[in-house]
This record gives sequence, C-alpha cells and structure tokens, in this order.
Amino acid sequence: MILTVQKSDKEILKSLEGESAVFIIACAGCAVKSNTADKQSIEYISKLLSDNNIKISEIEILGSVCAKQKTQEILSKNTNFQKAKTILFLSCGTGIQAVGSFSDKRLIAVLNSQAITVVESSYSKFCSVCGDCILSYTQGICPKTRCPKSLVNGPCGGFVNGKCEIDSSKDCAWVLIYEKLKKNNGLDKFINSFIEPK
Amino acid sequence: MKFKEKLKSNKFLITAELFPPKGVDISSFLTRAESLRELDAVNVTDNQRASMRTGSLAMCKILLEKGFEPILQITARDRNRIALQSELLSASVLGIENVLIISGDHPSAGEYPSAKPVYDLDVLQLLKTARILETGLDLAGKKLKGSPQFCIGAAVNPSAAPNDLQVLMFKKKVLAGTEFFQTQTIFDAAQYKAFFDKIKTPNVKVLAGITLLKSQKFMQFLQKLPGVNIPIEIQTRINSAKDPLAEGIKICSELIKDLKKFSDGVHIMAIGMEEYIPQILSLS
Repeated sequence: MILTVQKSDKEILKSLEGESAVFIIACAGCAVKSNTADKQSIEYISKLLSDNNIKISEIEILGSVCAKQKTQEILSKNTNFQKAKTILFLSCGTGIQAVGSFSDKRLIAVLNSQAITVVESSYSKFCSVCGDCILSYTQGICPKTRCPKSLVNGPCGGFVNGKCEIDSSKDCAWVLIYEKLKKNNGLDKFINSFIEPK
Repeated sequence: MKFKEKLKSNKFLITAELFPPKGVDISSFLTRAESLRELDAVNVTDNQRASMRTGSLAMCKILLEKGFEPILQITARDRNRIALQSELLSASVLGIENVLIISGDHPSAGEYPSAKPVYDLDVLQLLKTARILETGLDLAGKKLKGSPQFCIGAAVNPSAAPNDLQVLMFKKKVLAGTEFFQTQTIFDAAQYKAFFDKIKTPNVKVLAGITLLKSQKFMQFLQKLPGVNIPIEIQTRINSAKDPLAEGIKICSELIKDLKKFSDGVHIMAIGMEEYIPQILSLS
C-alpha cells in the first residue's frame, strides 16, 4: 500500500488561498488504511475548511481513486464535480494524477505520499519501487529503502547495538540482514558477493 | 618514502586529519598543518559531519605544494557516479595519490538536514570504481586517456555492535582493493586489540583512530556520537582534571604507547587542536 500522512494545516490553507468552495475526493483504498481518509480525517478537514470559510460542495468517497477508468466514470456523472473549480484530495499522489489526466480543474493535495509499505500497526518504509529488486540477495530486506544511505553491499560503521545511527528507534537494515544471513549460513557468500551499480 | 611505500614497511605509521576552513581564509589551516610536518600523511576531511566547508581536493593540493603527503577523503554522500569518478581523476591529475573512501555522515547529522543524500554508489562500489579507473576504463566501460594510480584507504568501526558485522565489512573492503584502513575513534587499547586480532590481514595496514579529548564539553559531545565508547576511567580522568586538555594529551600519548605494542599505526583526530600533536607524540 501507499502510506500517506496529512500535510500541516498551514500548508493546506496556503494552497487554498483565494478559494471559497471545494469538492473533496477521499480514497477508501490505501489512504483509509493510513488513517488519512477515514471518517475522523474527513471530519478534521471539513472543520478546518469551515473554520476558514471554505464551503464543501460534496465529499465523494471512491474505492481506489487511482483506478482511473472507474474514477472517471463515477465523476463524469457527478454534477457537483462538474461544477466544481477546485478539487481537494485525501488520496496519494497517484490518485490526484489519475484525476488530473482527464480534468483541468485545480487539484489540491491534502496528503503527502510517504512510502510503499506493508499494512501493519507501525508503518515504516519498505519499498522504493526502484525497478531493480535486490531482495533475493539481501534476505528479503531492502537496504536501498531501509538504510538511510541506501548501502547495497553492507553497512556503514554507524550501527549501535543493532540500531541505525540516523534514528536510534529504527533497526539497522544491515544488522537485520546479517542476523538472517547467520541463520541461513549465508555469511561466506555475503563476503564474496558484490552488487554492481545499477 | 611515499605513504604507499611506507604501508609496505614495518614502520609504525602516524597520520592525522585536518578539516578545511569554512570560508576562503586558509591561514589557520596552514598553521595547523605545520604541526603535522613529521607525520606520514595528512587526511583532509570531505565536508565532515555533513557540514559545508571548502573542498578537500583544493586543500590537499595546497598541502602537496607545501611538502605534505595528503590523503583525500571522498564520501559517497554528495556526488553521483559522474562527479565521483571525475573527482578521482582530478585528484590524480593534481598529483594526489592517497584517497580514503567513506560513506560520509548522513545529511541529517549536519547543517543541512534536508540536503539530498546522493549515495548513487555505495562504499564498496566506489572502492571498486577507483580500482576500475586504474585499469584505464570508467564505470561505463569507456576508455580513459591516461589512467590514474591510487593508494586506497577505507574506514572500519571497531566499536560498532554487532562487532562481527564490521569484521565482515572489513573483509569485503579488502576484497574490493583497500590497501589501508583508518578506524573510527577508539579509547580502549585492549578492546581494540581484540578487534585488531580478528581482522589482521597480510599487506593491509590498519591505523587506529584516536581523538584528543580537549575538554569536558567536547567529551560530552563525543559520547553522543554513534559507536563512541569512552571507558569510565577515562571519563573520570577528564571530569576531575584541573586542566582537561593536559589530561587529554596524556591520555592520547598513553594510548599511542599501548598501540605501539601491536598496532600498525595511529590516525589522530585532534579536531582543531593539531598544535598539540607534536607534544602527544613526544610523550608517547
């Protein structure tokens, strides 16, 4: 899924300068799982807008905004969407660009798309969608994404008791890989392996 | 004798590092350098702690002109593979043979936490790239007109835990063509010896990194850095000293005395207090 987080109120309001009414699209796909397009989030944004005298013509909740054909079909039948000048998105960047591909309306992002990740209680980045997967060589853990220095051939010298020097609340990706290599008798292979620059 | 040749000898090697000025006034840099005349080589850092300074290459060239043997530090943090290869070729053209290849502190540790961390090549890839350039080719497989020759170093952290993972990385870096290592800072000679015994490799010299504890405040700063382990007795000595700098000098020279018994050499990080290095060495 694509993990999203809400932008600051200040940034949202700045992007809405001069607007008096908006049509809201909320995505019931990944954004709901990120808790950024659920009932509470929609209520929060609605209050933020009303506190700043911006009207909401309608809130349209779509299954997956990024499913462009379906999204276009639904929105083409929605008169409030047709009338609206500005569309506010509680979706990832792909959802916004899907609508932008068939509409010339002003499109406003409420969320930042942070990462491709697995669904679990505490989110962290797992995949960078780099198009050059090396998981077969790294015990199923992506150091390109999970190491802040994207080191693909082994760690730097900054791990402390298995934690990353950049953020001590996070495990060093390479220590995790190392522990798995040890269990799978892969250390000798690791010493002699080398991942070429892409 | 050149540093590359000294690496093949049994000499106890002594290097130190200088950081370039923040600005274009190099007078203090040159004064600090003068204290390092007797050393085997002098490293120049590459925007250390991810903070912007004058370039390592320019300062290395100036050191070379003044009769020093510089070691150019190159991090993989700020340049992509085009700029990194170009920097290596430029070093060679300027007569700089020694390079220390490191990943570099992440931008979030420095003055520009939002700066883009490049890491287009990782350390192993950059080490191999330098070796590829020596064969007369570049990373794209294109022929070079004249190929460089380097003496290549890398870093290893004896205090990182799990420690065996650093031992593995040491071996990988040796396989990638590293000729010498300078370690991250250590304070405990016995602990370092245990690590050194694990990594000992013929024809590869390892210089133990040591830092001058110049004040209590500086010691507190160091303790916050990842992987820095200062034994309690050293902390007590600095904290209870009337003159912490004098005590720091003593600690450094005692450490060097201990290291001389087994280590290939030392790499001294005096962080602006290079004028005390001759004193540290004469006491050791």
